[in-house]
Amino acid sequence: MNSILIRHKWEPYLWLLPSILLMTIFVIFPIGIVFKLSFSEISKAGIVGAFTGLENFRLAITDKVFGTVMLNTLYWVASVVILSTLLGFIVAMALNSSFHGRKIARSIVVFPWATSLVIQASIWNYIINFEYGNLNNILMNLGILKDAVNWRASYQIEFLWECGVGIFVTIPFVSFCVLAGLQSFDDAYYEAATVDGAGFWNKLTKVTLPLVRPSLTVSTVLNIIYVFNSFPIIYTITKGAPANKTDTMVTYLYMLAFYDQRKGPATALSVIGFVILCIVAGAYMVISMRKDETL
Amino acid sequence: MRKQPSETVKRKNIRALCLYMIAAAFMAVLYSQPVYQFDTALYSKKSGNTFPGDERYVEARAEVDAIAAEYQAKNHQEAVTVSEEVIQRVNSKGETTSMITFRVNASTRRTGWSFMASGLPSGRILLASVIAVGLAILMTFISLAGQVETAPADLSQWRQRLRQASCWLALLAIMLVPVFHFDTVYTFERQIAVPMGVAPGAGHEQLLRAVDAFLYGGNAGETTAALVAQVNYHTLWTLWLLLPVMALLLIQMIRLYKNALKRTLARGALYLFIIVLCVVILYPYYVMLITAFRNNAEATDMYFNHIFPTKWVWSNITDIVARGVPRFLLNSLLLSTGATLIALCCGIPAAYAMARMSFKGKKTFLGFVIMSQMFAPIVLLVGISQLMNFLGLNDSVIGLMLINAAFNQAFAIWLLRGTFVSISPEMEQAACIDGCNTVSALIRVLLPMAAPGIVTTLIFVFINAWNEYTISTVLISTPMKKPITVGITQFSSFNMIEWQYLFASALLATIPVVIMFMFIEKHLVAGLTAGGVKG
Repeated sequence: MNSILIRHKWEPYLWLLPSILLMTIFVIFPIGIVFKLSFSEISKAGIVGAFTGLENFRLAITDKVFGTVMLNTLYWVASVVILSTLLGFIVAMALNSSFHGRKIARSIVVFPWATSLVIQASIWNYIINFEYGNLNNILMNLGILKDAVNWRASYQIEFLWECGVGIFVTIPFVSFCVLAGLQSFDDAYYEAATVDGAGFWNKLTKVTLPLVRPSLTVSTVLNIIYVFNSFPIIYTITKGAPANKTDTMVTYLYMLAFYDQRKGPATALSVIGFVILCIVAGAYMVISMRKDETL
Repeated sequence: MRKQPSETVKRKNIRALCLYMIAAAFMAVLYSQPVYQFDTALYSKKSGNTFPGDERYVEARAEVDAIAAEYQAKNHQEAVTVSEEVIQRVNSKGETTSMITFRVNASTRRTGWSFMASGLPSGRILLASVIAVGLAILMTFISLAGQVETAPADLSQWRQRLRQASCWLALLAIMLVPVFHFDTVYTFERQIAVPMGVAPGAGHEQLLRAVDAFLYGGNAGETTAALVAQVNYHTLWTLWLLLPVMALLLIQMIRLYKNALKRTLARGALYLFIIVLCVVILYPYYVMLITAFRNNAEATDMYFNHIFPTKWVWSNITDIVARGVPRFLLNSLLLSTGATLIALCCGIPAAYAMARMSFKGKKTFLGFVIMSQMFAPIVLLVGISQLMNFLGLNDSVIGLMLINAAFNQAFAIWLLRGTFVSISPEMEQAACIDGCNTVSALIRVLLPMAAPGIVTTLIFVFINAWNEYTISTVLISTPMKKPITVGITQFSSFNMIEWQYLFASALLATIPVVIMFMFIEKHLVAGLTAGGVKG
């Protein structure tokens, strides 16, 4: 029996009350406001006007950069989530095996997770600088490069760098989720598999992957949400320049709301983003749960 | 382990030894082959209005040939060649003009042995590599003497140690080869050919003399620096061939030591991966550290060629102190502490109810918590700023605290519930029977036992609040109220970024949280497991 005695039926709700209150006021209310605003007219000064139906959505979608921004968001989320999950999984596998200095290695891997994204992005901004960046500097000192390379030659390359930084800072989260999964089951499975003569590949696909699937699911769902909503990296490195070509949805809606003062389309974008996120994360959860059941 | 018949052992050992000898011999041969080629232009002469074969051409060519012969006489080692380049153009009047550039070139090749004898820094590295290999070979032979028929596991301990040490030495020697290459390039590219306007480092004179003796046989004297600046140098394939040959040697050493290879190589690959991983992860932190203590000139110097700042500029710290950074840090501390307290005060009861009580709507609440994760503050910024206006909390640290606490509720409840679930409820049940109510059971019994999990959650929320940037940048407009993540942006304006101040502040903002995170790293894994997976 895992529960304790409850004297009154309403007691559990009393325990939940502070948490519910806090989240209702500071999470649910803003959600409500955003939904309401997305259907209302908002003046540049921020005064909320009459109900306008889907006008804000029409404005947001027909904007000529909308397509670019959505595509960028897709690239950004897909590349960062997929690659960081893959790499994070490998890192977790490595950290799970025993070797000298494992504690130190684990502490080091956690660094990017503990660092503010603005700071990480600023450092990378400096590293890839053309005129004096540390990357050129080191490669030239080592004689690998003869002349400085412009690492930010075009916006496509800048966007690739942003994705790279995104992957870099996301790997620790994934590897620690997977590591948690790996350490929750004991080595008996492995030993059994080894006795049965399973090779590395077989052990990976038949033993490890099924066992860490729950933690992988959790980390991937959270990752999709975090990466979709990630703002400081792109805002620090390119600010979406040139002409929104490197914007993702969240940086674009920030610019719309607080630079262009077009809060109406911005809130409409928020709602669109939320719906997309719900669909993607929900679909992923449903699919991976179903797989779990068939095991 | 299976006992192998001595015949098999002998055959295996002899085979390893043969390959080993071949590799060693091949290595010695490679070192006496040229590993570097230096192409120098010793002299160049432009002869205008000259066509190939005419009078002026013959005259100029004779002059250049004489100079080449002079160089050849001075320096017997290398082949001096004369090359010519003809440029023909049609000018505005329609006449064809021609100019010929004559060049006297010397192409020098240097062997590994000559590098070692040269006294150049890179030569010493190569020498160290050769000595390491030599020692390793010697040690293997000592350990082998009279023991060819013994399986590695049955060797006496000192022989095993010797073979082990030889493996490490050979590995070291392999790693020194690329170091040699990079150091050679560094010497010629960065230390001798110093770019204009950069003061040469200490020992420059001495280095020049060594290069003079090495490349020009001591004939260049004063002109060494100018000559070296025109040198084109490239590695020859022999240097890179050294690597597989040495790897072959190492593999045979491992065979002789372990009698098996696969496991050792797998371990090596694992260590290699871990080392590369750590280096890549630490790289931005290294950049932050050195930039924080350089002056602006060094921080924006393309030709900066030191590992650490030439002079540690501690005044960067005092400068940022004068520019309000302590205030930002204090704001961050206040904001994060407040947010953590609020998040825990609301989160602990909720997590307790989720862990210990069964009630209607438990699943609904869980769904509610998960949904709150979907919305990052950034998407809700417009709504949040409206709400804050309404509550009168705009531009206040308290508003930030509440928002951060609210958006961290989900993680806090998740981690705390996991901790509570992992603790057996028997103690509390006993306490309840003794007449304790649930509140005191929680405070007196459960919380002390759950302390590690609570500290983990506490630090986790603290760090999230400390690193938060987006909400603060919108909600806070008074400079004095900015947290550090927003405060550091004052050092980067549109046209100029004061990198050294930016990174000095970033360093101060990063060190405490990284240390905190390292503390909870171990518990975090446990917390994630308990909260996420077992739930």
